[in-house]
Amino acid sequence: MMKSRAECVIIGGGVVGTAIAYYLAKGGMTDCVLVEADYLSSGATGRCGGGIRQQWSTEANTRLAIESVREFSSLEDELGADIEFLQGGYLILAYTDEDVAQFEKNVALQQGLGLDVSILTPDEITERVVPQLNTDGVRMATYCPSDASANPFLTTTAYANAARRLGVEIELFTPVTRVLTEHGKVTGVETSKGTISTPLVVNVAGSHSVPIAATAGVNLPITPYRRQILVTEPLERFFHPMIISFSLGIYFRQVRHGSVIGGFGDPDEPAGFNQTSSLEFLTTMSSKLAFLMPRLRSVKIVRQWGGMYDLTPDAQPILGETDGVEGFFQASGFSGHGFMIAPKVAMLVAQVVAGQKPDLDISRLNARRFAEGPVTTDRSVV
Amino acid sequence: MRIRQHPILEFEKGPLIEFEHDGRKLTGHEGESIAAALHAAGVRVLRHSIRLDRPRGFFCAIGRCSSCLMTVDGVPNVMTCVTPLKAGMRIETQTGKGIIPDVRFTHPPADPDYPRDLGNVPLAIVGAGPAGLSAAIAAGRLGVECVVIDENAVPGGQLIKQTHMFFGSKEHHARVRGIDIGEILLKEIEDLPVSVITGTTVLGLYADRVLALLRNDRFHRLTSDSIILATGASENMLAFPNSDLPGVYGAGAVQTLMNVDGVAPGKRVLMIGAGNIGLIVSYQLLQAGVEVAAVVEGLPEIGGYHVHAAKVVRAGVPILTSHTILRALGTEHVEGAVISQIDPQWCPIEGTEVELDVDTICLAVGLTPNCELGSQLGCEEAFVAELGGRVSIHGAGLATTVEGVYIAGDASGIEEASTAMLEGRLAGLSAAGRLLPDLDRNELARLKKEASEGLRTLRAGPFGEHARAGKRKMLELAGVRGGDS
Ligand SMILES: Cc1cc2nc3c(=O)[nH]c(=O)nc-3n(C[C@H](O)[C@H](O)[C@H](O)COP(=O)(O)OP(=O)(O)OC[C@H]3O[C@@H](n4cnc5c(N)ncnc54)[C@H](O)[C@@H]3O)c2cc1C
Ligand SMILES: Cc1cc2nc3c(=O)[nH]c(=O)nc-3n(C[C@H](O)[C@H](O)[C@H](O)COP(=O)(O)OP(=O)(O)OC[C@H]3O[C@@H](n4cnc5c(N)ncnc54)[C@H](O)[C@@H]3O)c2cc1C
Repeated sequence: MMKSRAECVIIGGGVVGTAIAYYLAKGGMTDCVLVEADYLSSGATGRCGGGIRQQWSTEANTRLAIESVREFSSLEDELGADIEFLQGGYLILAYTDEDVAQFEKNVALQQGLGLDVSILTPDEITERVVPQLNTDGVRMATYCPSDASANPFLTTTAYANAARRLGVEIELFTPVTRVLTEHGKVTGVETSKGTISTPLVVNVAGSHSVPIAATAGVNLPITPYRRQILVTEPLERFFHPMIISFSLGIYFRQVRHGSVIGGFGDPDEPAGFNQTSSLEFLTTMSSKLAFLMPRLRSVKIVRQWGGMYDLTPDAQPILGETDGVEGFFQASGFSGHGFMIAPKVAMLVAQVVAGQKPDLDISRLNARRFAEGPVTTDRSVV
Repeated sequence: MRIRQHPILEFEKGPLIEFEHDGRKLTGHEGESIAAALHAAGVRVLRHSIRLDRPRGFFCAIGRCSSCLMTVDGVPNVMTCVTPLKAGMRIETQTGKGIIPDVRFTHPPADPDYPRDLGNVPLAIVGAGPAGLSAAIAAGRLGVECVVIDENAVPGGQLIKQTHMFFGSKEHHARVRGIDIGEILLKEIEDLPVSVITGTTVLGLYADRVLALLRNDRFHRLTSDSIILATGASENMLAFPNSDLPGVYGAGAVQTLMNVDGVAPGKRVLMIGAGNIGLIVSYQLLQAGVEVAAVVEGLPEIGGYHVHAAKVVRAGVPILTSHTILRALGTEHVEGAVISQIDPQWCPIEGTEVELDVDTICLAVGLTPNCELGSQLGCEEAFVAELGGRVSIHGAGLATTVEGVYIAGDASGIEEASTAMLEGRLAGLSAAGRLLPDLDRNELARLKKEASEGLRTLRAGPFGEHARAGKRKMLELAGVRGGDS
């Protein structure tokens, strides 16, 4: 039987939702229910590339990312589970004058924040990091060896199990149909299995956060976009870093099991809910991969799939309490990089939900920023 | 362990050639599958698993299960059960994951008849089994241009392995051997606007009925106005300790080995399952000179037809009902099996365990429809136990919930070749009706009625009970979800 009353309800069983549930319970709020419409990791989380990067172009993002990697590196011990965390680095390729100029600025900023990141020449890339890479057209690259990756399914399951151990109840296959409010305050959520009364609701439903927020009269400026991705047969490890290029829009890495997983963002992708796969993606992505890593030509692709980016106007997440609806918190709009910052963001959101002062100020990420004037975008988005 | 003498079959094999296996010189027949050639040479362990380093042999023999991956000429993860043997091949037992060779991959030369973009075809049929071929005949006769695509080197689907005379009524080719039915269907196609492309896998189906094909390691794109999915079924696995040992084979794989490749799967076999497939394959094993220790069946009764059971019993093979396999014995490959009696709750009864001296365990425990392609295209699905698992929801005319996409044969629910042929015909007629608006509607209705009545006749009687129940559920689902008639 699902609880009919709880101290807090979390909507969404992706990496962020399960992590928030865990940190809330760890902080003492154990009477929580997490409600997931489908199964754990069924949303963007289970479809993502699992990359964890600290190389960002703004100070705030870089700091948050550094903190997240710190959390990730102790997470296996903390949660008592293998999440395939690997610090294999990120190699970011520059192809244009614009790339070069931006990357030089980024590296200066990142080094200033204490990040071990360096600029490599094309020869240094093949001599020191990835011998198999085709560096035709590559002007330079930035390389941060402590950038990482992890398995999103294992991470989410680890958070969920740790949360359960602390008393959190997780209801799967239970869509939330409405957030209930009275006099500007949250009173509960209505689900397919009944209503849960609660004064605190955290909306962590990815792109679906928008229709959920709308039931409480809240408008979130999030646009859903499909992003596609594919995976090859497993091979013995032959490269370590996540390799990305903003100008090619591509990223790929080799996971522990041995498969190479990667995708690219189609700039012409129309907005909308769509998780289907296209043949155009398969062919374009294969030729991009074969160009960058000629050895991959003979490798079989075993699967492709699509997932949703929940894009905000400044490609930054929306975090914190909602103006006008007391007790209604948002954690969405991760704009394609929600996995890498999940541990730290979830911890901070849990602190805010529990009424504590967060270790890092996240008020700059409140939805109200969009009402306050123009926003600035981080340029390091794939 | 090649089969030298067979009462029904003559094996047409390619010339004897030499190849290398883990540094040893072996001989085999050109064109047979690598796995069959190795099996004939007594090699059962093809690789070791990635995580637990367990020995793996082949299991499905139709390129589905990945159990048989080996390194061939330096290329890892090659499905040896469907890769033809060539002279001089260097074949290595694969341990762990593959290592990609540090050489530029050379594509096989392009075939001028098969450009990358194959253009558009009015009707694309996936699968050249009895369902797919019958669909092509029905649609082709009405003037619809069709392409039938099958991953195997020869068309015919399951039929190419069926050496026994089929049951059923005369007009559905009863008393004809399965292998010959395939020939009959192919003959009928000859004068029709139908082309059959073999050795070609449909990798994926995309929006607007676009097909992605893989042929000779090359990728092709084909668009279509209508699609019939006649992809058949895959063998079920059974979980028991050591069920992954080389020597535990699917019934289809055993048939492929002995009836297509002419290689005996072992010396002494334990058959699991006394449905028609278990019984027929047991008899075929005996014909091939292989001993069958017993047929084990969990149910209290034999599931298959009594004619088939009688033949097996007459040959001295015990059929043990209310029995199950507890575990396979052996470390590198099967060296025995432990079976026991089970109670009505299917729990093993202590003290009834018997150890059997066998080197092969054959699983004939049912099939599951191949529904992946429909699923990828967004066809709505439902789990219907009587049909064998998840199937695309389809109406009486075999339309799925995606416009212009039809399903037929084992892919729409596990039945038989005879029903697969009629379903194929019906799907072909439905597709033709959609593609040719000028078709005489009365004539089309008459043809469809004929096929539907044939199906009703075949499904009558106690053996059709499952199919009837399954199809009834399907119609209800289709009614609710709006699949056509
Ligand atoms: C192809 C692709 C590649 C990516 N690669 C990376 C990467 O390398 N690194 C990185 O950091 N990020 C990456 N991302 C982004 C990352 O996946 C997301 O930002 C992150 O997973 C967001 O997690 P989440 O928990 O907020 O959302 P989700 O994982 O989407 O979880 C939301 C959950 O809410 C549930 N839900 C929806 N509606 C309801 C309802 N009404 N009631 C109850 N539950 C509901 C959904 O079923 C879902 O499980 C990628 C995304 C995609 C699509
Ligand atoms: C041992 C045994 C005995 C049997 N005895 C009888 C009997 O006596 N009488 C009877 O009526 N029936 C019998 N049957 C059942 C009968 O063989 C099947 O019901 C029938 O073959 C189903 O026909 P189908 O066309 O639906 O599928 P199949 O014959 O399985 O054909 C499907 C074809 O599609 C191909 N295919 C699948 N996916 C793809 C793809 N993505 N790309 C390209 N090609 C693809 C497959 O390789 C296959 O060739 C027997 C079956 C077995 C195993």
